[in-house]
Amino acid sequence: MNTSRSLLWQIVLILVIIAVCVFPFYWMVTTSLKTQIVALEAPPVWLFEPTLQNYREALFEDAVLRTLINSLIIAVCTTALALLLGVPAAFALARFEFRGKKDLWFWFITNRMVSPIVLALPFFLIARSLNLLDKHITLILIYLTFNLPIVIWIVTDQFRGIPYDLDEAARLEGASQFTIMRKICLPLAMPGVAVSAIFSFIFSWNELMFGLILTRTEAKTAPAMAVSFMEGYNLPYGKIMATSTLIVIPVLIFALIASKQLVRGLTMGAVK
Amino acid sequence: MKLNRLLCSVALASVMATGAFADDSDWSYKKAAEPYAGTTIDVVFLLRPGYEAIEAMIPEFENETGIKVNVIKHPYENALGEQVRDFVAGGDLDIALIDLVWIGNFAENDWILPIENFTSNAAITDPDLDLDDFFPLVLDAFGSWNGTVYGLPFDNYSGLLFYNRCMLEEAGFDGPPETWTELKDTYGPALTKDGKYAFALQSKRNETQSADSFARVLWPFGGSFLDEEFKSNLNSEESQTGLKFRQDLMQYMPDGIVAYDHAEAVNGFAQGDVAMITEWSAFYSTVVSPDTSSVADCVEIAPEPKGPAGRKPALGGFSLAVASQADEAEQAAAWLFIQWATSKANALEYLERGGVPARQSAYEDPALADKYKFVPALVESWQDGVPEFRPRFAEWPEITEIVQEWGTKMMLGEVTTEEGAQEIGSRMETVLEDAGYYSGEKPLAQ
Amino acid sequence: MRAQVSRRTIFAFIGPAVFGLAIVGIAPLLYAGWTSLHFFNLTKLKRIKFIGLENYWSVLTDEVFWQAMGRTFFLLCTALPLQIALGLGIALILHKPGLGLLKTLARLSLVLPMATTYAVVGLLGQVMFNQKFGVVNQLMGGANVNWIGDPTNAFAMIIFWDVWQWTPFVALVLLAGLTMVPGEVEEAARLETKSWWVVLRHVQLPFLLPGLVAVLILRTADTLKLFDMVFTLTRGGPGSSTEFISLMIQRVGFRGFDQGLASAQAIILLIITIVLAQIYIRVFYKEV
Repeated sequence: MNTSRSLLWQIVLILVIIAVCVFPFYWMVTTSLKTQIVALEAPPVWLFEPTLQNYREALFEDAVLRTLINSLIIAVCTTALALLLGVPAAFALARFEFRGKKDLWFWFITNRMVSPIVLALPFFLIARSLNLLDKHITLILIYLTFNLPIVIWIVTDQFRGIPYDLDEAARLEGASQFTIMRKICLPLAMPGVAVSAIFSFIFSWNELMFGLILTRTEAKTAPAMAVSFMEGYNLPYGKIMATSTLIVIPVLIFALIASKQLVRGLTMGAVK
Repeated sequence: MKLNRLLCSVALASVMATGAFADDSDWSYKKAAEPYAGTTIDVVFLLRPGYEAIEAMIPEFENETGIKVNVIKHPYENALGEQVRDFVAGGDLDIALIDLVWIGNFAENDWILPIENFTSNAAITDPDLDLDDFFPLVLDAFGSWNGTVYGLPFDNYSGLLFYNRCMLEEAGFDGPPETWTELKDTYGPALTKDGKYAFALQSKRNETQSADSFARVLWPFGGSFLDEEFKSNLNSEESQTGLKFRQDLMQYMPDGIVAYDHAEAVNGFAQGDVAMITEWSAFYSTVVSPDTSSVADCVEIAPEPKGPAGRKPALGGFSLAVASQADEAEQAAAWLFIQWATSKANALEYLERGGVPARQSAYEDPALADKYKFVPALVESWQDGVPEFRPRFAEWPEITEIVQEWGTKMMLGEVTTEEGAQEIGSRMETVLEDAGYYSGEKPLAQ
Repeated sequence: MRAQVSRRTIFAFIGPAVFGLAIVGIAPLLYAGWTSLHFFNLTKLKRIKFIGLENYWSVLTDEVFWQAMGRTFFLLCTALPLQIALGLGIALILHKPGLGLLKTLARLSLVLPMATTYAVVGLLGQVMFNQKFGVVNQLMGGANVNWIGDPTNAFAMIIFWDVWQWTPFVALVLLAGLTMVPGEVEEAARLETKSWWVVLRHVQLPFLLPGLVAVLILRTADTLKLFDMVFTLTRGGPGSSTEFISLMIQRVGFRGFDQGLASAQAIILLIITIVLAQIYIRVFYKEV
């Protein structure tokens, strides 16, 4: 009796948790299928005739499609670059002894904590003088400030878990450290690398402030686009939600794929 | 005969002087644009009715001239930042979209060019340009700075009183309030009941707070931002009367009015929740269209109410000017587009598509008043007004931030009107001091 | 045993990353340092001049700056305990045995809020919390709460979304901690006492601590960084009631165009961040 009631409670509570997590997405998608008049109805309606008009407008008339492609290009490139720079550094931090290692590691990690506005101001001025405004490369580079720490944190941790005796033999045969990393350690560290790549992608895809300040048209990212519909004269809620849906779907898919490792990634290895 | 020949030779001489073959009689955009066909010009547009109107007309221009107009759309609140960043970066914009309060800033930075640079070139200047046809106040306030004309008025606003005739009649009023005091003391209590409100004053913390809310209660009561020495005038008796009036009027406005932007105020009016709003002329098409308004049949329009200091309606609007960063061909193409978009010839079509032209000739037809109810009130409002309704000097972007912050705090009751005015005043004076107005470095122009 | 390698090898491995991060992470900071010592207004580039520490003095004596700072920490102090309490509750519910499929489903839905684009969360907030056509008031039985236009409610709304987005994170972190408690230890404890509180306090808590520390560090950093969601939801309003530190700096630098002053603010924020990060990381993470 007691246990069945507590089981019932558990089921109810779990359903509540699921509902609270999922409901905003439900509302986002349904609002995106409403015309402006239906969207402004008070109190809001739950049953209505859905329309794809908002998506048509957003994707084709307002060039949201192009900003999604921009976001994709930028997120993929910055992730690749972060891995290229971060993985060897992580290997060194995990396996080599050298002076100042601790400070270096601390410096890498601190970058994760820095508010983007601290960098946005000067980066804008630098990009301006180098004629790099509104270019993909600018965002690809600045996103390194949070992607590189993620990659280094997670992958360093992963490399540390790999026992040394594995590469002992290779070392005796005269293999270089680089070969050891590539041939022996990297395959074993692959799960960590994959997770850090997914994170790096999600963070870059979601970023707003740099996108807003450093791009205008050519390299405009999708979140910056979604924000640009907010004219005080008239708020096209349906279209804003359609754009939001288009932005959110790819990251949600990614997040679900990586859901098992997500926590580890977010805490950057603090919880094993 | 003789006179004619004389004129011809003068015209010829001026044509020779500019090195182009143009004649008043057969000047056309097509011909003028021939050397610039294929040029692309970049311009920032807002997501507002006046821009949609011209966008629908742009293909005509492109077909005729071969010039391509690349429109980059931004919400108003981002438009200044986007343009400033483009100009300091030496970006792509060829035309500046100038809200009247940005003109001092743009002009002082030499980001925009005086139209004189182009009007002196007959080959690219529409003989029918006729600057005198623009409402003088509008051309002066939206397009000019320090006596020089930079931009031509394009998206033009005057504050108007939109009122819901049906609601007013039901409450026993057969006309709109004449004065602000009447609006508050007579109309306010009578119309605020059953979840409906007499009035809504959009006051969100952005330019709306400074332009639509704060400045709107200063001027009619005889107040102003600055006195003659450019010191704060906000603690003067008149300014305080205005600001206190606003606090008092809030009891007849919906809750959370400090979060109302134009969209919310207009929606409230269009849904029949609010009986009166003071809004820009540009909203006319929104509130009379049955697609967006459930009170379309009840909408009437009057000039803004008077205060003790007279009728001082809000003044706002945009001009288009040629950007100095554009190359020569782009500048010429941009100038052609600006003239075309603001031309006498296109004014009526612009009006019909939902824009508000600033051409006096466009409003001559008395029949227009039946079709567009805002016309008489608009024309009246533009007869005289305060160009420095909001100071137009280069420091406005900083000062408006201060006004927005403390103006909303005042409305929320977090500070008294005196304290708020004191804060705005001293912060504003610091900005002006830094700018060099008090040391005599800069002329006291606003 | 760790490898002894030459300096050159070390440099080859770590140099590119250091170099890369220095370019995008340090060069801008040096530039910000330079800017902060100047009168530097984007719309007055003709009048740039060195003014020493004047910008810093203005920031340090500006109550508006400290109010924004205080507001930011107030948000941290209200949202974080809620997140920990709710997160712990959820973790305990999901830690109970049984209901495999349903729990997997719950774990998957917990992932969604965390991954959502922050700017989109703010946009969603505008739609859902609208006083008239918002679904939140409808779900509250046709309440007429003015969320966006009232300072207190707007702050509460920001807390709500912060809690919505990050409670799942706390829950999953703590759940991971709970699963590390050895099964036999937990069972033995449950035989001794019926009180879940005692089990939590004496058996599970030690395993939860590392996770809680990570949560503390990351939430502190993220609250100082908080920009996107608030920018799209309230833009800091009404009044200044939701103007957090990053929003304020953005406003000064890109709306008032006073890059000198904004740089000084940014550097002061950076110093505060580094001090906090130093304290946290040095105290809690000793090993490299």
